[in-house]
Amino acid sequence: MRRARLLRSTPFRLALAFGLLFILAFMVADIITYQLLKRDLAEALDDSVRDTYSVVASTYSSEDAEDFVAGVATYARLNSPEDSIFLLVNEKGERLAGNVSLFAADDGLSTVKAGDIGLKGDDRIRIQAGTVSGNRLIVGESYSDTDDLEHIALMSFVWASGVIVILACGGGAFFAARAQRRLDGIERAMSDVSAGNLTRRIPLEGNGDDIDVVAGQMNQALDRLSALVEGMRQVSADIAHDLKTPLNRLRMTIEEAMQQGGRGVDIQSLLLDAREESDRISATFEALLRISQIEAGARKARFRPVDLEDIMSSVAEIYGSVAEDNGQSLAFATRPASPSMVNGDHELLIQLFVNLVENAINHCPPMTSITLGLEAGDGGFAATVADDGHGIPEEERELVFRRLYRLDKSRTTPGSGLGLSLVKAIADLHGAEITLKDRHPGLGIIISFPAQPQA
Amino acid sequence: MRILVVEDDKKTADYVAQGMSEAGHVCDIVEDGRNALFQASHEQYDVLVVDRMLPGLDGLSLVKAVRAASIGTPAIFLTSVSGVDDRVEGLEAGGDDYLTKPFAFSELLARVNALARRPPVQDQKTVLRVADLELDLVRRQVTRQGQAIELQPREFTLLEVLMRDEGRVLTRTMLLERVWDFHFDPKTSVVETHISRLRAKIDRPFDVPLLHTVRNTGYSLHAPR
Repeated sequence: MRRARLLRSTPFRLALAFGLLFILAFMVADIITYQLLKRDLAEALDDSVRDTYSVVASTYSSEDAEDFVAGVATYARLNSPEDSIFLLVNEKGERLAGNVSLFAADDGLSTVKAGDIGLKGDDRIRIQAGTVSGNRLIVGESYSDTDDLEHIALMSFVWASGVIVILACGGGAFFAARAQRRLDGIERAMSDVSAGNLTRRIPLEGNGDDIDVVAGQMNQALDRLSALVEGMRQVSADIAHDLKTPLNRLRMTIEEAMQQGGRGVDIQSLLLDAREESDRISATFEALLRISQIEAGARKARFRPVDLEDIMSSVAEIYGSVAEDNGQSLAFATRPASPSMVNGDHELLIQLFVNLVENAINHCPPMTSITLGLEAGDGGFAATVADDGHGIPEEERELVFRRLYRLDKSRTTPGSGLGLSLVKAIADLHGAEITLKDRHPGLGIIISFPAQPQA
Repeated sequence: MRILVVEDDKKTADYVAQGMSEAGHVCDIVEDGRNALFQASHEQYDVLVVDRMLPGLDGLSLVKAVRAASIGTPAIFLTSVSGVDDRVEGLEAGGDDYLTKPFAFSELLARVNALARRPPVQDQKTVLRVADLELDLVRRQVTRQGQAIELQPREFTLLEVLMRDEGRVLTRTMLLERVWDFHFDPKTSVVETHISRLRAKIDRPFDVPLLHTVRNTGYSLHAPR
């Protein structure tokens, strides 16, 4: 099991592959060097034998053959036949001088074995044979020095190879283990994350290498993921909490109806209450679904050029009388001179302004004046829905866009706490930004539509 | 009227069928899309009530297939799929109306009635009349008993919609869709406000009321019965 895992490990495979490649390359280099050295040594030996031969041969002069023989005899006496051999043979085949017994050899360079020429040992000898004024001169040198050198070279190569194999394997294993350890760290962290521990992060070495960079990016992705999951957990907890209350009310109404029905009392109004409550619950679900669908962004495919002023004035017109009946006033005060076309979804933009205006109507006291405004600027448009009501406390401004969030004081007024989430989802879909502004008194909501690409 | 209900949830199907027969209609229930297609192309129906999610053939494909077979029977989608796009998809597939679950039966009945008796397109009257109330679409004038009545543009549209469907119940959501083009449920009493203003102008100064509130359902404009 352990071996199989090791064989699948990328660092180990890489280390193995590179180790083998390195060893192979070193071996090839060794063999080539060894062969070159061997050839060089053989050439050097040949040169040396040839040189000795010509030196010996040059001592001969025609007037004094005796001298020549004596010269060869001196060489023979001074050199041990294990190192160098000398042999001078006359025309009749008689040995004149030398340190070896009589033997015949062809002209030029050749190699003989020590045993073949009556010497001890199994060394090979390189010889040069030739004729000097009728006499045969043979000069030779033992290969033993050359063989020794070659042996030393071979042995040093073998040792070096051994050391290199150990180094390559050991180094490879070390680096492989190091890389493997970090990969294992990533693997452990990721399996912890998949097991549900979203706070787990991959440990970094801090040296900024590629594994660190990848691990850092994975950590960032994990940060985003856990933030998203946390947000979702928050939303589902909010939803569960917010739906429990109306479901509980529904249950109580039904129970009351059952009791009263048992006593024979008319329960029509309780049933109506129950129906209303269940309608409210399904309206909340509907709104949640709508928000998530808008957030999914599929509506973008249906974007058309729409006139913001047109949309806002029809909302102002529709809600003017509703506000009036509520003792409030609603006016579309500032309008741009030219058409205010944006690319968008007519239906959703209507809903955006309806939600904002309805929020103002529902949450502001009588005598409040609600003002709509639209201004062009920077190629985009800024739409404003402002009132002079209670406003929203500074610290709650960000929270109001959260799903199901309701200001404490608005718990008693109608609404699901989803209106502004929907507004935000629609604004986001249109690339528009929402700013909340304190008007002392009252609240101003500014929706900034970005500059529109020229159609 | 003969109505084909295509719905795989037995409880919903029975609820619809029972309500329809109490309202004097005849209902056939089919539980899957393929049988519904067969039924719709072999029998005469006045309205199809189609669930979107069906076994065999889904509601959208069913209505597409029915339309492809040149059957013009009005169809209303009845579904728990209530996304923003789904209504558009349903209408594009050839559906005539769209109602999301959970729904009030009165809402469904009002819509089915409206679908079945939708006036032919060539019926382009320029003056609508209900009893002594007259609405001139060309001159955009409203008179009752010969007296001119001043209406806001939205009130005019509201009255026009009510008069075109004289005698039929229009629900709050139907009015929102037709008069205001709202395909969502507003959190304020938009409809009620405009209805009461319209009523103040066309009914209150006169003896006989024409605009009636139908409890728990909607509104209806008709001559005294």
